[in-house]
Formats: sequence, C-alpha cells, structure tokens
Amino acid sequence: MEYLALLAGAAAGSALLGWPRHGLLARWRAARDASERVRREDALKHLLKCDANRAPATALSLGGALGLREAEAAALLRDLEARGLVSFAEGRLALQPDGREIALHVVRAHRLWERHLAEETGISEARWHRLAERQEHRLTPAEADALAARLGHPLSDPHGDAIPSPGGELSADDGQPLNAIGTGQPFMLVHIEDEPEDVYADILRLGLRPGMRGYVMGRSSAVLRLWIEGREVELRPSMAQQLSARELDAVSRADLRGERTLAELFPGARGGVIGLSASCRGAERRRLLDLGFVPGSVVEARFASPAGDPTAYEVRGALVALRRDQARYVRIAPEGEVAA
Amino acid sequence: MSVPPEAGAAGAPAGSGEEIFQVSRRLRTGIEGDVHEHLVEALYADAGRIAARAVSRPGRERRATFDATLDRIVTSRLWGFPVMLGLFALMFWLTISGANVPSALLADLLVGKGYPWLQELALAAGLPAWLRGLTIDGMYLATAWVVSVMLPPMAIFFPLFTLLEDFGYLPRVAFNLDRLFQRAGAHGRQAMSTMMGFGCNAAGVVATRIIDSPRERLIAILTNNFALCNGRWPTQILVATIFIGGLVPAHLAGLVSAAAVTGVAMLGVGFTFATAWLLSRTILKGEVSTFSLELPPYRPPRFWRTLYTSLIDRTLFVLWRAVLFALPSGAVIWLSTNVEIGGRSLAEQAITGLDPLGLALGLNGVILLAYVIAIPANEIIIPTVLMLTVLSAKMTGVGGEAGVIFELDSPEEIKRVLTAGGWTVLTGVNLMLFSLLHNPCSTTIYTIYKETRSARWAALATLLPLFIGFAVTALVAFLWRALS
Repeated sequence: MEYLALLAGAAAGSALLGWPRHGLLARWRAARDASERVRREDALKHLLKCDANRAPATALSLGGALGLREAEAAALLRDLEARGLVSFAEGRLALQPDGREIALHVVRAHRLWERHLAEETGISEARWHRLAERQEHRLTPAEADALAARLGHPLSDPHGDAIPSPGGELSADDGQPLNAIGTGQPFMLVHIEDEPEDVYADILRLGLRPGMRGYVMGRSSAVLRLWIEGREVELRPSMAQQLSARELDAVSRADLRGERTLAELFPGARGGVIGLSASCRGAERRRLLDLGFVPGSVVEARFASPAGDPTAYEVRGALVALRRDQARYVRIAPEGEVAA
Repeated sequence: MSVPPEAGAAGAPAGSGEEIFQVSRRLRTGIEGDVHEHLVEALYADAGRIAARAVSRPGRERRATFDATLDRIVTSRLWGFPVMLGLFALMFWLTISGANVPSALLADLLVGKGYPWLQELALAAGLPAWLRGLTIDGMYLATAWVVSVMLPPMAIFFPLFTLLEDFGYLPRVAFNLDRLFQRAGAHGRQAMSTMMGFGCNAAGVVATRIIDSPRERLIAILTNNFALCNGRWPTQILVATIFIGGLVPAHLAGLVSAAAVTGVAMLGVGFTFATAWLLSRTILKGEVSTFSLELPPYRPPRFWRTLYTSLIDRTLFVLWRAVLFALPSGAVIWLSTNVEIGGRSLAEQAITGLDPLGLALGLNGVILLAYVIAIPANEIIIPTVLMLTVLSAKMTGVGGEAGVIFELDSPEEIKRVLTAGGWTVLTGVNLMLFSLLHNPCSTTIYTIYKETRSARWAALATLLPLFIGFAVTALVAFLWRALS
C-alpha cells in the first residue's frame, strides 16, 4: 500500500517536472529561451540604432545599452555571429540582412505599441516605454502590420520618433540637442529620449512633449530657462540633453509670448484658437477637434460652474463645458490678434 | 508587406504598386502635423463659410439673452444647488405620492380580483393542484405583484425625468455637479444616470449611454446599483417604521424613520463616490477617458412626444424585462416551498442552511433566501420574506398556503410576524443596509450584460456590491453585539 502511494507520488512528481511543454522543466527552458531571444533582439536593436545615427557600435557600447559586462556582451556578439545576424567584416561590427530585419521589426513593434497605448488606452505616459519594451518581443510581424493598419499607418511614435515601414530604413534621430539651440531662437521640440527612465519621468512631469513650440529665455551652467507653450519651464542642462529640437524660422518670439491657454480666459473674454497642445492625445484630442476647437475658431468663456470647474465656452454657436485640465490644452491668442 | 489594396486591384505590376506606396509615404512625411487634423480644420473652415452665407438666424439675440439669464440662475453659486434639490424633491414627492393610488388600484385588480378569478377558472378546468400552484400561485402572482408595484412609479418618474431632460435642464445639473464626480474619477453626466437609478437601476444603466467616455461610463454602470431604486424604497420605509421608529417616542417616530431612510440613501451616494474613486484608480485605470459636456439651448419640452417615448422606451422596456424574470422566479418561489425532500421543503432546508451565515451578518436565513429567490425584483422581497417567515416558523392564521406570497395591511401586523420570526432591531438595521448593498436585481444584471457586452463586467457589477454588503453588515453586527 505504502509502496503504491510512493510510486504514485513519484510518478506525479516526475510528470509535474518533466511533462512535455507544460512541465516545470519545459516551462523553465521556454522562459530561458525567451529571455535569451529578448536579449538577442535588444542587442540587434542597439546595433540598428547605432547604425542609423552613424555611431560606431562595439561590445562596450552594447554592454552599456543592455547592462552587461564586457565579456557577456562579447559572448552575445559571438552568438549573433554564429546565427549569421551580424558580421565583423572589414573590422567593423555590422548587421547582416537577417539581423537588420529582426531589429527593424522590434523597433517598429515598440513604436507602434507606444502609439497604440497613447491613442487607444488611458494608461499613463510614464508606463508606455516599459510596456512597449515587453510587447516589442511578443508581436509578430503580421500582428505589427495589423496594428499599423488599425492605427492608420502612423508615421511617428509619441516621442516623435519615426516608425519605420517594414523592410524600410530607420531614419536618424531628428533635430539637434536643445542645449545647442541659441538663446532667443524659436524652436519646436521634436524628440524626447525615453532612456534613462527616471530622467524621462522628470521631463514628463515638467509637461514637455514633442511638437511643443517655444524659445530659450536664458541659460547658465546650472539651469536652462525655457518659454514653452505660454509658460516658463526650468530644467537642468543634463536633462535638456535628452530633448531634441528643430529651429523655427517662420515664428517670432512675440507670437510665442502672446499665446495663452483657454483656461486663462475669464468669463466674458474671447480668444482665437491657435491649436491644441501636443500633450493632448488620443480620444481626448479627437473629441476637442470634433467640438470645433480648431485653428481659426473664436471661443468665448461664458460662465463657470458653482464649484469653479468646469467652465462653459461658446464655440461656433454651441455651448460646451470643458474641465480646466482640458482647457489648458487649447492654445489661444487673446481677442484682437486673430481675425474673427 | 502592406501595399494599399487598390494598387493590386488596378492590375498594376507589383513593382509599381510598391512604388506608389513609397511615393505616398514620402508625400505624407512632407506634411507638417497630422493629416487627419488638417482634414477636420478644412471641414470646419468650409462649413463655417457655407453657414455664414446661407443661414440667417432671426430672433437669435432674444433667445440667447433668455438662455443666458436662465443659465446664470441655474448655475449660480447661490441658486444652483437649491433649484436642483427643490426640483428633485418635487419629482420624488410626485412619484411616491402619485403612485400610491394607481398602485393600489392595480394591486386590487391583478391580485385582489384577478388572482381568485384565475384560481376558480383553473379549478373549473380541472387542472391538477400542483399545476395550479406552479402557474397561478407561483408565476402569475409574482408577476402581478411586480407589475402593480413597479409600473405606476415608473410611469410617473420617467416622463417627469424626460421632460426635464428635453427642456435642457439636466445637462446643467451635470455641469453643476461635475467637480464632485471629477474628484471621484467619474463624469458629471453620471449625476443623470444616478438620478435615473433612483427610479430604476436597469433604466439607470441604460441612461449611462449619454456618457461617451468608456472609463467613466463603466464607472457609472458599476456604481449605479448604489442608487436606492424605487423597488427598495418601500422596504426601507417599512423596516424603518417598524424597527427604528419603534425606538423613539411615537410623536418622533415618523421623523426618525424618515431620517433613517434618507440616511441609507445618502450612504448609497457615498458608496457611489467611494467605489468610483477606487475603480478609476485600480481596475479601470487603463480605459480610455475623455470629457465633454454640451449645454444645449433650452427649448419648450414636447409634452406628448416625451410622454409617449418615455413610456415606450423606458417604462415598458424595463417592465417587460422584469416580467420575463418574474415568471420563472415565481415558479422557483412556489417550487422551493412545495417540493419536499425528507419531509421538509427545499426552502426550509435552505433557510436552516443559510441561518448560520445570516445570523453572523446580523440577518437570518429567511432574508438571504428571499434575496436569492426574489432576485428578479426588489419589490417582492417583503412579501417573500413574510411568506418564508410564516413557513419556517410554522405560524398559522396569517398568509395563505406555502409558496403564496402576501402582504399585510398594517405595519403592526408585519412587526408581529417578523418578531415571531426572531427579528431584532439589529435585523432591521442590517436589512436596510443589505437592501442598499446587495447584488442588483436580475433585470439590471441582464441590462448591464447587454450594455457592456461583457460577462466580466456584469459579474463584477453583481459581486462588488454583494461583497460590500456582506462586509458592512458583518461589521455592524460585530460592533452591535460587542457594544450591547
């Protein structure tokens, strides 16, 4: 009797451990394989980004990007070489066509997923990058294509990075570091680097987003003062290094100074809409556009609710209530500066 | 490779399709900003130009002044809230007092006359006793009860509500209350679905359609059950009169029991906000959220049209669903009390089984069983409780046969039956709490399922309030016993 029980226990135990595909061993092996694949894909992604920005890639830079010791990074590169994904021809570390294809897919999946999170969910911005880091290894090329089609084949992700087309080229990072923009020169933010994550979170907290316009008010060695979307922002030059901007020549500083948001309009006052803030995304943005908050519309603040928020605005003959958080998204020129 | 379908359809060689795709992509990259936004702008610009040329608006100035004046009053710091409270108090008063007479008439017709008449008819037709019991005592009686209690209040409340909606006042209520809902992570328009929920939760859930933001709409659906619906007011008033009014001198009894019922309703509002706050920060965090609230111009309500649509769309719609669920439930009520295993009916066995849990919650097995078998409508809870109490306590001289739900004429008689069934003040208090905090009726659960198209949300909407109800009654029972 006892032998029988022992035997049954042993059988159950070995089944639990060694059952094909569902046993603990098989699961552990699958998890290990997956994490090795993730590491390979991350390595290829690093090489592709170096390639696009014409920066030389080495075992050292790879180790830095993936958080590996140099010996580990070298072993990883040997593995990639054995699989025919990279080559060291002409003494230069370069992607092979197969490796390039995988890397391009991963980058594309990452940026598409961030775009999806921004447009179709209410998940907070600070989590997009980490979620996309995970999802980029799960989406198949076919799934990525379906996602792209559903999102209307977007050209850029929420940070302002271009989403590559399958089999296409990865374009180099746009713009120049914000630190290199001259004082007083109007610019538009085009890109925010999302790594390291904690600095990125700080940038988000300051409310900076790609697409925002402003100019540098002044700088010292310790601080950079910006006028951006109708308010003043101070940040450390080390943070500004993560921001890229493009110089705007058609916009004057006076235009930028004159910008207000709808939230600053007192009841009875009017203003012409210049546009929506770049930080307003997805369903929220489409709703505001649908309501008629488009460039050229004249808006009059009418009355506030008894609790002070929301406020009713008259836009194109309709009375619409917006919360203060939303009214901040609508950039306006106070009446008189825009022809009604 | 995603090549636009029309390139292939035109029969062009694959190479040129790819070329077109690349060209279009290059052109699109050249456009500053978002293509769709340019389209919206262009549409508005064109529409504005056409409207300026083609539309004239005689009398617009005077209308605008009238609207502005009215808006200033109903959204003012001083008058906004008093006007709102006054209007809703009036609406509830009209509903409750106005429904009494037609309810009594309907009950007299369907239960007082129709029920004996059907019994005689069945007897004359020679139907066997069990079939008569199942169909007439069970199915017909439960349905007749639901109709007579449910129909009149809804037929008054819904048209009144729709009139205010049609006039354009309700969006102003949402405007006034939005700040409150915003703090809880909800939408101001939930004020309207909650208000509707005081009439009927199933209708309240349907009313959440006006909330166009997915996250806030789910919040409104999941918390609608905390609005004390019409079907639960009579239970609250009766139990408060018997058990809480009985604690104070007679001249204060009316006031104190009214305060107790209002307190329970306010507690429901409190739970609405607390649960909304919790939901929006936990499981609903990732859902899409936007806000917009249009304040349409005021207009004279179209009385007859409103009356017609609110009766068809809301009243009959809800009533029909309630009847669909009341029929089988009537059968279950009758069967559970008449099918015997081992000499005791199923209901008695269930009551014995549920008693330990019920007593731990400061309730009893009868109440829990009543909430299970009377799930189609809160209206028949008290009749079911009375019938089950008489059955399980083996009382004679009150009520009819087993499985025949009944109501007594005076609160004193009900109190006598319930006290004989072992009820205390704690049972009364916890029944009031449990009546507020338990699963929605089956009509509402089904409506939630239809509206969200998700069994998951329907299950959550069912279990969440039930869980809260168990927790709150257990806590009250524990404190009550510890302190006394």
